[in-house]
Amino acid sequence: MAAIAEASLSAAETRKPRAIWVAIRRNPTIFVGSLVLAVLALMAIFAPLIAGDPLRMAPAERLRPPSETWWFGTDQFGRDVFARTVYGARVSLIVGITVALAASAIGLVIGLVCGYSRSVDGIVMRIMDGIMAIPSILLAIALITLTRPGLAIVLVAIIIPEVPRIVRLVRSVVLSIREQPYIESAIAGGTRGAKLLFKHILPNTVAPLIVQATYVCASAMLVEASLSFLGAGVPPEIPSWGNIISQGRSFFQIAPWSILIPGAFLTVTILAVNLVGDGLRDRLDPRLSRRM
Amino acid sequence: MSILQVRDLKTHFFTQDGVVRAVDGVSFEVGLGETVAVVGESGCGKSVTALSILRLIPKETGRIVGGEILFNGRDLTKLSEEEMRSIRGHEISMIFQEPMTSLNPVLTIGTQIAENVVRHKGVSWEEARRRAKEMLELVRIADPERRLDEYPHQLSGGMRQRVMIAIALSCDPKILIADEPTTALDVTIQAQILDLMIELKKKINAAIIMITHDLGVVAETAQRVIVMYAGRKVEEAPIEDLFDNPMHPYTRGLMAAIPRLDIEAEVGGRRTRLHEIPGMVPVLTKPIPGCAFAPRCAFATDRCRTQAPPYVESTPGHVAACWEVDRVREMAA
Repeated sequence: MAAIAEASLSAAETRKPRAIWVAIRRNPTIFVGSLVLAVLALMAIFAPLIAGDPLRMAPAERLRPPSETWWFGTDQFGRDVFARTVYGARVSLIVGITVALAASAIGLVIGLVCGYSRSVDGIVMRIMDGIMAIPSILLAIALITLTRPGLAIVLVAIIIPEVPRIVRLVRSVVLSIREQPYIESAIAGGTRGAKLLFKHILPNTVAPLIVQATYVCASAMLVEASLSFLGAGVPPEIPSWGNIISQGRSFFQIAPWSILIPGAFLTVTILAVNLVGDGLRDRLDPRLSRRM
Repeated sequence: MSILQVRDLKTHFFTQDGVVRAVDGVSFEVGLGETVAVVGESGCGKSVTALSILRLIPKETGRIVGGEILFNGRDLTKLSEEEMRSIRGHEISMIFQEPMTSLNPVLTIGTQIAENVVRHKGVSWEEARRRAKEMLELVRIADPERRLDEYPHQLSGGMRQRVMIAIALSCDPKILIADEPTTALDVTIQAQILDLMIELKKKINAAIIMITHDLGVVAETAQRVIVMYAGRKVEEAPIEDLFDNPMHPYTRGLMAAIPRLDIEAEVGGRRTRLHEIPGMVPVLTKPIPGCAFAPRCAFATDRCRTQAPPYVESTPGHVAACWEVDRVREMAA
């Protein structure tokens, strides 16, 4: 008994650090995922400080295995795989975050309108079905071949096929929310259309939208890596995990590190994003979170 | 003086199975500050009547096809959507059946009450928040200042229904429509909410239209009762007259179907079987030429099945739509 009382007393004293610890214990997946992403983000932001020039070629040092000088080894041109991997994180994170934000914003607006107006819904949703029917990689390749390669066009090419996924989600949430008694109640109180949509319906879509955005983020990173691997992504002078793997594949048998290491980074990053997504899904579901 | 006159209201729904005559020629009046109960079993058109008054019938499926609804002399069926919005929640407000889902889970209690006040009274948010606090005090919610910033899931069912009442009354409505306000609550909370409504009614002097299938609720709250069956009004009476001397066979059936604990067993020391009205509610997609209750009525004659019964008045204000009023009365005597 005394021990318990003492423990609760000390808990009250050191309340703040304990609160953080409890939050971590409740959502270990969010914590682990965020930690990995934070490390990757720091690595990407401070890339020039922690790694050398990712483009500098050292012909004498070609295909070196990982060692004290070359942490992740070198590729067939003698470029530092560590520096290239660190800089590659920039592309992946920029693509993941930008696509998630842009696709969510566009998808939210279209989804809200579609869920609310039946006449718009009929037309717009058929267009969305059409976009979804096109394989996203092929659409991206087509768009990229029409223009000069660059990060911006890669972003656009990935955003377009992701938008319908968000639209469908937001639309379905709006359709179910608008049938809720509290919406009928708001209408019976004289609330008008726009206010009903933005004040009463929109906030209810935020939780599922955030969760979906994390999955879009992970998917965008994969698509970018695939495009870069196929040579249709960011131009070769910008190192990205996809094009590092692509360039290293002909030397896979003698220099596997130039493929395995960026591949491992890609895997861990996507796993981390999905962990955060899963954790948020559990956390943002009010029925689940109340039980915790 | 009456504040609301509903005349020959017809609200129909257009479904794949045909036209559903949910409300089929209902007329009644509501006096200033009066409490009128509308009773009947599920699907008899009670709620649709209420939704018609506020013009909240979903446009895709239903429509008010006839009649008029005069509120302070203005015909609500002819107002524009914009004019209707300024009446909803302001001059006529409504409480729904489900307190658990009638509040938006993502907005605080204070926001939801204040919003109604800001919208209809055009006051500042601070002013509206003060009003919201007053309203919470009025509906007897303890610690209103704290509750204003809480979300609906932090409140119990009874408290949520109190909040709904607070919202409905926040703009001093002339008419409050309560659609089965106590059905979803447990019995002790039901009694509290009814007591609260009776008490508040005295304070705010609004007319109440109480929609319910519970004759106990009717007896406790209403001054006048309208009994509906299959989209029609079958009987209307002051409260005492209805319970003392029900005229329509359907009303008599409803009363007989109330489970009672105070009646001693009649035969062999065993309780008698609970009375039920035989048969089913008619399908509303086919026009009913005569009395809608005829197929279930013990007094029905051929005339009942072919000709719609007229409203017969026995005592002042007590009318029933029945051909066989005299025979029914003889049976009761």
